[in-house]
Amino acid sequence: MYAYTNADRQDLFQEMVIQLWKAYPKFKGDAKLSTWMYRVVINTAITGLRKKRDFITSYEPSGLPEHISDDNTARAEEEQLQQLYNAIEQLNEIEKAIVMLYMEDHSYIEMEDILGISDGNLRVKMNRIKEKLRQLTKKY
Amino acid sequence: MIMELDDLKNTWQQTPPNKNSNTDIMEIIQHKSYGPLAALKRAYRKQIVLMLLLPLFLLMVNSQNIQGVLTSILFWCYVAFCIYIIVFAYYNYQIVSKMENMDAMVKTNLEQQVHLLEKRANWEVSTLRLILLFFIVLVEVVPYLQHYRMLDKWHSLPIAVRFGAYALLLLLQYFLNKRIKQRKVGRHLDYLKELLKEMQ
Repeated sequence: MYAYTNADRQDLFQEMVIQLWKAYPKFKGDAKLSTWMYRVVINTAITGLRKKRDFITSYEPSGLPEHISDDNTARAEEEQLQQLYNAIEQLNEIEKAIVMLYMEDHSYIEMEDILGISDGNLRVKMNRIKEKLRQLTKKY
Repeated sequence: MIMELDDLKNTWQQTPPNKNSNTDIMEIIQHKSYGPLAALKRAYRKQIVLMLLLPLFLLMVNSQNIQGVLTSILFWCYVAFCIYIIVFAYYNYQIVSKMENMDAMVKTNLEQQVHLLEKRANWEVSTLRLILLFFIVLVEVVPYLQHYRMLDKWHSLPIAVRFGAYALLLLLQYFLNKRIKQRKVGRHLDYLKELLKEMQ
């Protein structure tokens, strides 16, 4: 979601690991370790590793999770999946973070703890994102 | 038919996680961080070292006339300038170190980044102004203490011309400040502020 090519993904992963390693001594245990880790990696993706994405004209979808399906339905579903990924690509960094946490099945309380956006506001944003994705996927 | 986010969520959860080609954590942490903040820190470190070495280099070049260099007001002004730049680079280094803290909530982190970046940009503008004022004072005062051909020539011009030129310089700097700020951190600041607005 935050990296466009395989090389970018590798770089981002490496940077996230470095930031986690550097931040760990300051971990005080006032949040769950997983919550703390999500904070570090999302902050790194959003602000710690900003690439010149204006110059990026295409991205390699090969790094996206592969869709598990049988051969008969694979093609149509792959296309839909690709449309949805393209739509997610159009979201801003905060919306992407919300989508990512949603897909990882985090509760709104956990998301609030990671992002600092209130539970109610997150629900509103989630509905807006879903609607935005619906509109965007129609375009593709 | 359009695939919804909830369908993607199901698919996502059935998908085995992507295996990263390099899973050797110990190997990864040996790498240098190449993010913009780490790059800035490296740049400030270089600046500090360079400013420490420059006066020494000047002394080495003029090793046959050390006494002359050591009694030159311009040399000591240059040393003062280097010290000021070192202090400024160190201050910037500290700000960037604070910006490297990534373990706060995303919104808090964004607010902190915006605050620190604005603080840094304002400092940069003030520093540029101070350097310019320092330069003006230097050019005006030094000829009364020591004689340098260029400065004497400058002082032979009418006072109105000299001070007009200084005023023009200050005015130019005032108008350039915004541009400098925009070029240095403007785009990134706008980006962070936009994200913060999205979180309201």
